[in-house]
Amino acid sequence: MENDDIGEEKRLELYRLQLECRYMEKRAYDLFLQNLVKGTSHLGLGQEAVAAGFGAAMHSDDYTFCTYRGHNHTLVRGSSMTGILGELMGRECGLLHGKGGSMHLTSAEHGAMGSYAIIGAHIPIAAGAAWSAQYRGTDQVSVCFFGDGTTNIGAFHEGINMAAVWKLPVVFVCENNLYMEYTPIEEVIPVEHPAADRASAYGLEKIIIDGNDADEVYRTAEVAFAKARAGEGPSLIEAKTYRHSGHSRADPADYRPDGELEEWLKRDPIDMYRGRLAEFGIAEKVISKLESDAIAIVDQATEEAKASPTPSLDAIETNLWADGGSSWRN
Amino acid sequence: MDVIMPQLGETVTEGTVTVWHKKVGDKIKADELLFEVGTDKVETEIPAAVAGTLTEILVAEGETVDVGVTLAVIDDGKETSAPAPVAAAAPSAAPTQKKPSKPAMAKPTHAAPISPVVARLLTEHNLNAADITGTGRDGRIKKKDVLAHIGGAAPIVDGDAEVVPFTYTRKLTAEHMVRSKATSPHVLQAVEVDFLAVDIARRSIKDNWKAEQGFSLTYLPFIGNAVCEAIADFPRVNASVVGEALHIHKKINLAIAVDLGDEGLVVPVIRDADELSVPDLAKAINEIAAKARDGKLSGDDFTGATYTLSNNGSTGTFITAPIINQPQVAILSTDGVRKKPVVIEGDNGDEIVIRPVGVLAQSFDHRAIDGAYSGAFLGRVRQILEETDWAAELG
Amino acid sequence: MAELAYRDAVAEAIAQEMERDESVVFLGEDVAEAGGVFKTTVGLLDKFGPTRVRNTPIAEQAILGAAMGAAMTGLKPIAEIMFSDFLAVCWDIVVNEIAKARYMTDGQFNMPLVIRTANGGGSRFGSQHSQSVENWAMAVPGLKVVAPSTPADVKGLLAAAIRDPDPVIFFEQKSLYATKGEVPDGELVDELGKAKVLRKGDDVTIVALAAMVPRAMAAADRLQQEDGVSATVVDVRSLVPLDTQTIFKEVEHTGRLVTVEENPRLCGWGAEISSIVAEEMFYDLDGPIIRITSPHCPIPSADDLEDQYLPTPERIVETIRREVD
Repeated sequence: MENDDIGEEKRLELYRLQLECRYMEKRAYDLFLQNLVKGTSHLGLGQEAVAAGFGAAMHSDDYTFCTYRGHNHTLVRGSSMTGILGELMGRECGLLHGKGGSMHLTSAEHGAMGSYAIIGAHIPIAAGAAWSAQYRGTDQVSVCFFGDGTTNIGAFHEGINMAAVWKLPVVFVCENNLYMEYTPIEEVIPVEHPAADRASAYGLEKIIIDGNDADEVYRTAEVAFAKARAGEGPSLIEAKTYRHSGHSRADPADYRPDGELEEWLKRDPIDMYRGRLAEFGIAEKVISKLESDAIAIVDQATEEAKASPTPSLDAIETNLWADGGSSWRN
Repeated sequence: MDVIMPQLGETVTEGTVTVWHKKVGDKIKADELLFEVGTDKVETEIPAAVAGTLTEILVAEGETVDVGVTLAVIDDGKETSAPAPVAAAAPSAAPTQKKPSKPAMAKPTHAAPISPVVARLLTEHNLNAADITGTGRDGRIKKKDVLAHIGGAAPIVDGDAEVVPFTYTRKLTAEHMVRSKATSPHVLQAVEVDFLAVDIARRSIKDNWKAEQGFSLTYLPFIGNAVCEAIADFPRVNASVVGEALHIHKKINLAIAVDLGDEGLVVPVIRDADELSVPDLAKAINEIAAKARDGKLSGDDFTGATYTLSNNGSTGTFITAPIINQPQVAILSTDGVRKKPVVIEGDNGDEIVIRPVGVLAQSFDHRAIDGAYSGAFLGRVRQILEETDWAAELG
Repeated sequence: MAELAYRDAVAEAIAQEMERDESVVFLGEDVAEAGGVFKTTVGLLDKFGPTRVRNTPIAEQAILGAAMGAAMTGLKPIAEIMFSDFLAVCWDIVVNEIAKARYMTDGQFNMPLVIRTANGGGSRFGSQHSQSVENWAMAVPGLKVVAPSTPADVKGLLAAAIRDPDPVIFFEQKSLYATKGEVPDGELVDELGKAKVLRKGDDVTIVALAAMVPRAMAAADRLQQEDGVSATVVDVRSLVPLDTQTIFKEVEHTGRLVTVEENPRLCGWGAEISSIVAEEMFYDLDGPIIRITSPHCPIPSADDLEDQYLPTPERIVETIRREVD
């Protein structure tokens, strides 16, 4: 066993973040079975360690950009869980007051700078936020989360290329969960590692990590952030992980080979981390309390969100422009 | 809690319960497999969302139901399903940006087609296309031709006259006046009012008022107050003609005509004027008049008026026959108040005294009310003005 | 007052705004040392240095994505898209991201950016480098759309666009880059959403935009001299926000509306204005609304083909002669 460079406090935070993500996403699934969550929802069940590991390593003024599978990434920045569940249910208390929905969760005050539903679009946008930090001379870092399927789209290439040329303080994180929507990733990529094998094209290091080990994610994040804050430019990290549910709601993921899910469930990040906490001597009752606290938080957020009304129809034509309105004529 | 048929896909509208994995009476743990659903796209296993006892199964295996239908009930020890989300507040109506609607078009009687503006002008001026000489292609009647026929303002500068184009407000005023006269048969009735009681009260606080408020206390708020009170006894003057019915308004929203000089008239509204005391009414009148002159009135300031006051007295006129502010049925003009000799009848004979006297003249819509009713209303207004203890009203 | 070329007015406006506000930054392809392929940004690199004036790779999605990220985090970026046809390459960033970020988050994001781009035909570049696409932008809620016709309007409207807190797409017309006009000295800031009446007449109101404005003016002169027809010419300048009131006032006076649009026929900007006038000014019209546009084909490249494809002063004169009595 290595020396504990991470420390008990940070470990407990890492576990807490993963628990809240897991229970929140499970609750989101339950709510959609009750027809309370509308439209479509892309759950991050099984991928909590990536969001938590990076979230725990960030400063509060760093920027994150994530995809439509972004509930966890939004939560770990400190965004309101009531706001997240409320937005999924289309309520007034939602982070976006019912204007955006599950795929666009944003809490700018927490640095959660949007969830993006167009594959890859947020990669150059994240680079732009990093450019802004570089220009303003702050030590802020921009972090961009995306999936394995994104590595094939044009904006991936353009955004990472420009970030590398301009040496921008941005960390690109590819969560390789083995599937581009319903298609196994190896069917659409000519190399083995969708992100890491493309890194050299931008002069970047090949970095592959176990995305289900929150400690490994955390340590990798710290290194990448230090590099960015020191003005040494971007990193591209491929984190191997797996999603427990389908691509989106009601996708039972029949395209998965038999046994694959069961194998990955044995490597459930939360089960593994629970074991690791025990190894580091954290008491069972501390662990259990974290678990029951997380459930209580989810329960409370659920009740608050359910009690919130649907938004007023007046909201339809507001906030198109900075003046709060949507007028295009005199 | 109710277990409902989930929507397993954006386009899915129904589902079939294929297998129940639990039966009525079974104890269930949260996340335990409860049932399976088949839709036209997928077969899916559904876990129980809560722990409890399965108390009812309402939809049997093999049955197809719509999304949202209750399939079963689990007693989880809590209150039944969460209340439905509270509906949103009603939307506010968006203000329209359109011009006021125009009257129906005249039937074309001329060979060449009649354009919309020509049709409108013919209708508005009660003209026949056959009477107009068209100078357009193939003898088409153009807008210019109709205007020339009317003798209306030619767009080209006439060497002998100073041409002052109508402002937007002037145009609106002009249109409204023409339309009002065309809509309502106007009848004018008037009363002479002895303003002594008002004057005594007014003078007693005049200087303090001016010093504190920055504007003078005129007769107008007293008249407005009296009108509101009289409307309570004669509500039909506070109404609108809609089709073949009189809509008598419950609220009294007084419109005050404000003259903007060459720019025209605007008529902003004081809502629920009957709930205002004389001092409050005076302040409200002053406020909207100032807003009108500063061009700061907004859409809300113009809507909902039920009766109008037109104050012409500042120029010292004797009487004015005002034009009704559609869709109301009456309007009151207040003219100059001057000292006049009046006869007071007494038990010991008649005497002549000097009193401040002014004429109040009401134009009313003879579709809605008749002279006796209007006259009685005016009589009541006069009575209130002459007999109220105004000093007490001013507090 | 000084006489300034349309292209130089661009650089002057950017310089004026960059001097006054440190958060204004500028990026694009070949914009720095080269001063832009149309020489619209000459001198800016020298004045403001390489951290504020940046060359980018040929990567339109990266250019606009970076502009958006910077605008969301405190800067006021000006992004150049070299030819407006290339907006199609990064249209996702324009319409799905920039135009919608504030609305979808119900006001959490600011988006004070300007996309300036060279628009329009007349240079024999062929159909992928000659389109007028301001109508594409007009159709998307969340974008302000400006297209100036004179150097003074370039300077004043670009300054106003840079100061505007919302995303503005600023369409510079390539065929006007060399034209010259009087520009007032000193700081110049115009107002978005205000059309200009350049010429007053009584018989017909011609509404035009950008490169079509001088052509409408030339046609109006000929109509006056040769036919005694007096035309009002309105330069729309700003499609969003749209100055409907000025257009209404002028149409009410003449009773006739003609639009002159460089766009191909279907869904050009004039279709929307015609529709609004037909709906709200119907009872003031003395004849049908006429649209003069390019045909509904891509732009050909040979001299005569391109010249006759675009609305010419001759075509404007003939159309008005035929349609307005």
